[in-house]
Amino acid sequence: MGVAQAGAGDVSAPARPAEPLTIDVSVLPDAAFGHRGLTWWATVAFMAIEASTLLACLGALVYLRTNTTQWPPAPYAPPDVAPFAANVVLLLGKLWPFGRAEAAAKRLDEAGVRRWMLIGTLWGLVCVVLRGFELAALDVRWDDDAYGSAVWAVSVAHTSLLVTDLLESAAITAIFFLTHPQPRHFSDVEDSALYERFLSISWAVLAAALVLAPRLP
Amino acid sequence: MTAVAEAPADAGATRAPTERERLERTWADPPGLWGWLTTVDHKRIAARYVVTAFVFFALGGIDALVMRTQLAVPEGRVVDPDRYAQLFTVHGTNMMFLFAVPVMLAVGLYMVPLMVGARNVAFPRLNALGYWAYLAGGTLLWASLLLNTGPDQGWFSYVPLALSEYSPGKRVDVWAQMITFTEISGLISAVEIVVTVLKCRAPGMTLARMPIFVWAMFVTAMMVLPSLAVIATASQMLAMDRLVDTHFFDVDRGGDAILWQHLFWWFGHPEVYIVFLPGTGFVSAVLPAFTRRQVFGYPAVVMATIATGFLGFGVWVHHMFVSGVLHQAGSFFTAASVLITIPTAVQIFCWIATIWTGRPRFGVPFLFVLGFFATFIVGGLTGVMLASIPLDQQVHDSYFVVAHLHYVLLGGGVFPLFAAVYYWFPKWTGRMLGERLGKAHFWLWFVGVQLTFFPMHLLGLAGMPRRVYTYLDGLGWNGLNATATVGAWVLALSVAAFAFNVVHALRRGARADADPWGADTLEWATPSPPPPYNFERPPVVQGRAALWSRTPDAPVVVGLSTERREILVTTAYDAEPDHRHRDPDPSIWPFVTALSVSVFFVALMFTPWAVVSGSALLLPPLLAWGWPKRERAT
Ligand code: HEM
Repeated sequence: MGVAQAGAGDVSAPARPAEPLTIDVSVLPDAAFGHRGLTWWATVAFMAIEASTLLACLGALVYLRTNTTQWPPAPYAPPDVAPFAANVVLLLGKLWPFGRAEAAAKRLDEAGVRRWMLIGTLWGLVCVVLRGFELAALDVRWDDDAYGSAVWAVSVAHTSLLVTDLLESAAITAIFFLTHPQPRHFSDVEDSALYERFLSISWAVLAAALVLAPRLP
Repeated sequence: MTAVAEAPADAGATRAPTERERLERTWADPPGLWGWLTTVDHKRIAARYVVTAFVFFALGGIDALVMRTQLAVPEGRVVDPDRYAQLFTVHGTNMMFLFAVPVMLAVGLYMVPLMVGARNVAFPRLNALGYWAYLAGGTLLWASLLLNTGPDQGWFSYVPLALSEYSPGKRVDVWAQMITFTEISGLISAVEIVVTVLKCRAPGMTLARMPIFVWAMFVTAMMVLPSLAVIATASQMLAMDRLVDTHFFDVDRGGDAILWQHLFWWFGHPEVYIVFLPGTGFVSAVLPAFTRRQVFGYPAVVMATIATGFLGFGVWVHHMFVSGVLHQAGSFFTAASVLITIPTAVQIFCWIATIWTGRPRFGVPFLFVLGFFATFIVGGLTGVMLASIPLDQQVHDSYFVVAHLHYVLLGGGVFPLFAAVYYWFPKWTGRMLGERLGKAHFWLWFVGVQLTFFPMHLLGLAGMPRRVYTYLDGLGWNGLNATATVGAWVLALSVAAFAFNVVHALRRGARADADPWGADTLEWATPSPPPPYNFERPPVVQGRAALWSRTPDAPVVVGLSTERREILVTTAYDAEPDHRHRDPDPSIWPFVTALSVSVFFVALMFTPWAVVSGSALLLPPLLAWGWPKRERAT
């Protein structure tokens, strides 16, 4: 690319000094997908922040476990597996509509984005409802003891992300239904698909720590 | 496709002014208060951060002055023990969370876009939100001190002291929420810096050509992400232990007090580097202009900066050597703590080589750099001493540690910061700071720091514990304490000289042209102060020293809209032009959102139900913020 050459400092310019060469960027696109765009990087940065938060909660849980021989400490039993398994499956499944929405966004297919974002958002709503059952299945209160505090910290930290994410996908969906979306909104769809992956996979890890780890011998 | 083309021959006289006028109009803020509240200009916001941070610095200094006056003589009666506890806690908390970290990030928010040739930070509105959150957090802390509800449990808020049982009332909650505010702000600043550095560099500024200062800010911002996120989480755990009876740190119910120490120092030690790395960046920015050569050993300095960033996360346990950490773990952390001195030493040797082989000019910024060497090296040496466990066990919680931490923070942070202020003040304001007053400021500061803090080493070795509101006569501590207090007043005088210099320069300082120091980085290619759009035509970079290597026919970027705010996004590694990005207009929503957040957090000190009402309060401004406005047709 001509621009790249100028950038690399080896401009073989016709030597008429003091007259600046110009790089005309008006021909460049005015939006870009994926890692080319700014919001993708912001999404990654916020994922790093949130991953640190979740790991801090998980770290607290693991650390507290080293204080007791029995985990969970008496009289508690490990949380029921069923709601957690169901929601992990559901959350991973949610990646499918979001993947479709992402593909539609890349084609700038408005109708496709509307359809799949709507499905993804409703799907997300089901996950949030199911999260209520998961919290109930913890079967300990946050103020019972440190074990209760730690499992609630892990769950609430992830739940707050889940709820904000639901609101965000609802907002993007609304923008596609109610306004004339601009190019950057298509790349927002792609970034939100990336974020969904983070949310779903992080819950698979955290849920395993909550329900499977205590069952390990 | 883009193309390199020659500008039309008549590009000069007739067209340029109108292009500039159009840029002026597009990038101008609305006038008056409304413009002040809605601005998204990184320079205005960063300047606000810097001024606010210096106000907090002055307040923290007054606080320290009261403490030192109390300690001037044995059994002093200036303040009572309860007030003294609030004073040292608010001083430490303020200096770390409201001064040192924010001021460094703020200078980054101002300078990084200019130094990489960008028109704004990557997310201007988010940036505005960050400032308002910071202001709210700082106001909360200082208002609480005035209301006699200032935190009093020490700046690291150790449990169990910080739990409700031993600290009833709201003092600790103020601390925890102040943390949340400032960490939101710090995290936002870090995201801004990371993305601006990666995606908004001028064409030609490959990573290998980035100014060292930009590297330092980039690594700092990368360190902020995992560390500030964790302290924000930890402070919420502490708040929840106090508010809704969770038991994270409550030993009676299976919690663990050492858990708090791990979480705190996981953040706390990297925080020291979050203050120090920008300091190294300032030094590397100032030196070329004052030695007439590029910094010696660019690759070594950059690699050392990155290495420090990683190692900074490996040493947190050295703050906890007396808390019974495992023996082997102790040795590991001693080794890591000694290891981290290596990259720092590499940088220091590179700077010395720069000065040695350059033609030094003893301007005020350069004097502060020399003061940095002298002071920081002492702090570094006491640091190596403290990394050894047997010694640490003797002087832990004594004034030796107070001496060490001030030598490191003032040496590694404040000296370079003053260098940076003298260096960039002309760029920020279009005026030069006075040279003579500057020298007075420097010498008073240098002497004051040694007078105040050197005796504290000896006091610590003589057994004086930190955080005591007074001491008895006859312990052999009187003379050293009196000296430290005199030193504190010298420091006050020095800061007064600085403040006077700033006010005087703003009124009638000498005018500065675009590049008063003959420096090498891009910020000096814009007028002083820079216009809202920074560069009329974004530059193209041809070498590491962007200005010194620029040829007369150096290319510039054209083709960005002048009718709407548009910036150029480039590729992360090679900085090749990639696409144009619509930069947001001024907006009131960041301010309104920050107001809602503030109400939310303050309410959360009193009731958990604030989560519900707070979310309800936050939704409308966030929605208004994100909802697309109809574009002006272009
Ligand atoms: C400007 C001159 C300064 C003076 C005269 C001063 C003086 C003091 C004094 C007297 C204490 C209390 C010691 C005790 O009772 O244990 C203290 C503590 C502290 N200072 Fe400073 N200080 C200054 C600047 C700074 C700066 C710039 C920073 C950080 C960037 C800082 C960070 C701290 C911290 C973290 C503590 C510990 C607070 C605690 O024990 O909880 N100080 N300082």
